[in-house]
Amino acid sequence: MTPNDHDTSRDGGTDVEAGGETAGSEGYSENVNRHLPRGGRPHTRVADGGTALGGTDDAELDRGPFSRWVESSIQSPERVYKAMFYVAAIFFLFTTLFPFYWLLMVALTPEGQLEDIVFTPNGFNPGAFIEVFEVLPFHWYMFNSFVIATASTILVLVIASLTGYAFGRLEFPGRTPLMLLVLVVSFFPPAAFFIPLNDLFNTPVSMLEPIMSDGTLYNTPGAMVIPISAIFIPLSIFILTTFYAQIPDGLEDAARVEGTTRLGALFRVIIPLSAPGVATAGVLTFIAVYNEFFFSFLMTDGQPENWAPLLEGILGYQGQYEILFHLMAASSIIGVLPVAILVIVAQEKIVSGLTAGALKE
Amino acid sequence: MARVQLEHVTKRYEDVIAVDDMNLDIEDGEFVCLVGPSGCGKSTTMETIAGLTRPSDGNVYIGDRDVTNLAPKDRGVAMVFQNIALFPHMDVFDNVSFGLRLRKYDDEEIERRVEQAADIVQLEGMLERMPDEMSGGQRQRVAIARAIVRNPDVFLMDEPLANLDAKLRVHMRTELQRLHRELGTTIVYVTHDQAEAMTMSDRIAVLNAGKLQQIDPPLVCYNEPANLFVAGFIGSPSMNFVQGEVVDGGLETKNFDVELDHAAVPGAGTGDTATLGVRPEDIHLARKADAVTHPTSRIEVTTDVLEPMGDEIFVYLMLGEGAERTMEEDPMESPDQLLMSVTPDTDIREGETVDVVLDRSNVHLFDAANGNALVHGIVDLPGSEPGTTPTEAED
Repeated sequence: MTPNDHDTSRDGGTDVEAGGETAGSEGYSENVNRHLPRGGRPHTRVADGGTALGGTDDAELDRGPFSRWVESSIQSPERVYKAMFYVAAIFFLFTTLFPFYWLLMVALTPEGQLEDIVFTPNGFNPGAFIEVFEVLPFHWYMFNSFVIATASTILVLVIASLTGYAFGRLEFPGRTPLMLLVLVVSFFPPAAFFIPLNDLFNTPVSMLEPIMSDGTLYNTPGAMVIPISAIFIPLSIFILTTFYAQIPDGLEDAARVEGTTRLGALFRVIIPLSAPGVATAGVLTFIAVYNEFFFSFLMTDGQPENWAPLLEGILGYQGQYEILFHLMAASSIIGVLPVAILVIVAQEKIVSGLTAGALKE
Repeated sequence: MARVQLEHVTKRYEDVIAVDDMNLDIEDGEFVCLVGPSGCGKSTTMETIAGLTRPSDGNVYIGDRDVTNLAPKDRGVAMVFQNIALFPHMDVFDNVSFGLRLRKYDDEEIERRVEQAADIVQLEGMLERMPDEMSGGQRQRVAIARAIVRNPDVFLMDEPLANLDAKLRVHMRTELQRLHRELGTTIVYVTHDQAEAMTMSDRIAVLNAGKLQQIDPPLVCYNEPANLFVAGFIGSPSMNFVQGEVVDGGLETKNFDVELDHAAVPGAGTGDTATLGVRPEDIHLARKADAVTHPTSRIEVTTDVLEPMGDEIFVYLMLGEGAERTMEEDPMESPDQLLMSVTPDTDIREGETVDVVLDRSNVHLFDAANGNALVHGIVDLPGSEPGTTPTEAED
């Protein structure tokens, strides 16, 4: 009550000649009518708010810009939500995209002038994107990464499809404990596997001798595909289990009566109907393997002819006496492109895949 | 076309027996309905024939082959599912030709057969459509086309009409009968709707709790039910049951007595309890019972609720004095209620006290202990010559 009364008197002084003092509980409607022509905008809250607050001159308050903004925000919160959305979106876009922008600035800056980059490149040297391929066979590293990522993705999808079918569509004793075991394995730090695996992959196996010169897996794609696939398989198993479990039993039964085996029904009916899930699992695996650092770095000697992946190429611009930052930046951008294209192409399926799994669980 | 035989088929799950020692012999070209309440094992029996479920014990034969351990695809069966189960990512042509393509038929043959099947189920011009662009009835017809296109030995239909609306269901029922007449293939049909079973099948197999109760032509199941379950399940509204005690010269129930030559009824000795079963249409008003050749003595009842159905009126009858209304439980199970059906022109009102008689030739007696039928029709009166029963007493 008190602030209103106070406001009323102030209001009367500045704005309306008779408003303040006559504004009592008697006849507020008359009061409103009197004010309308002068006060301009009729205040919607006056009709009921006036009696409740004991004053009718709410509309005529002389508030500061901040108070007015607060008032309008309270009345139409959508505007605030919208503003908050833009703030959050811009912040998110900035934190996501700024590193790329910075990378581009570094890549475009000629060698030796890095110290003066603020928001524009210090000079302009697009030739770095070509120089990258001249200094090192960077395309070779990219090809290696691509092969490793593709092979891992195929391996993961095949194994996870079969596992997902078993977990999602079959009843068997120990299903839940086994599922938990898969989950636990996925939580192991990759470093825990490294030493035994490195030892294993450096041990000559006579069976491999016809294929590999020295009979070891070190310096071959296998040394990366096998451990990396093992690490990323649980995620795909979970995604595919969720999807395969949702396909009605009748469809599988129908396919089996029509002439497929269980496996045939999986490939002809269940997988096509779970396409968003398979695409999601595939793309996530591909990206994860393509970006993988630990095993990729340690399972080869870093030479492109020994299947060294992308990141060895990027690190290759770091010499003993100088670091070619502009080439590292340029090669990083080139390296990101395949994944960026893949995500843009598959994003619709990924989004529907991730949300379908989440909603129907 | 082939004969289907089940020999001692049992299916056990962890804690339940879904199918218990089932023996079925389905003739070549026969249309057999498996009926029973939910959970009676009829779908499991069907899946056992299809090969989707492997029996825990027993053998399944299709034609001359023991198919117990064969995969579904090698059994020569086709199945129509309750939820239709069309592959949603394929158009009608691909759905129908799915089985043919798997069997590597050449393209011309596939095309010819699909067209022929589409013709039979009247789907011409719809082969390009996707399942989600079709109505329920059309989808069901695609499912049937998918089944017939391979010329299977046996059709298995698992409640194919359950998801259709009432009008379409009646229509498809006729279509299926026409199809059976045209193709002459053995059809095994699962339904819980006894009206569907009565109208379509050559023989009905009534199942309850995983056990085969009776397999006979529809009218035999109706007129001579093998036991209490079949008697109560077949026919709508179901049969009235009244518990009674066999005494010398009759059957005494709580509210009325029926004359009976118990010597002519094997298995019913004096002092045994028996259940009397009588269908609503075999109860007659005493004043209009001239046409009944073997009436029982009059029973005094009070009419309760009348349900006019158009072609007949169902009358709920209260027996005895101070009979209590038992609306919660099944009225047919109550000893104090009977359901009578009369012609619509009958002059009858609620709350009226009338006399009724039962038609003795259609009174059934069941052993109260195990539910098996003792006799169908109790025409013999005490003292008359035995062996003149018009309806044969089985068991």
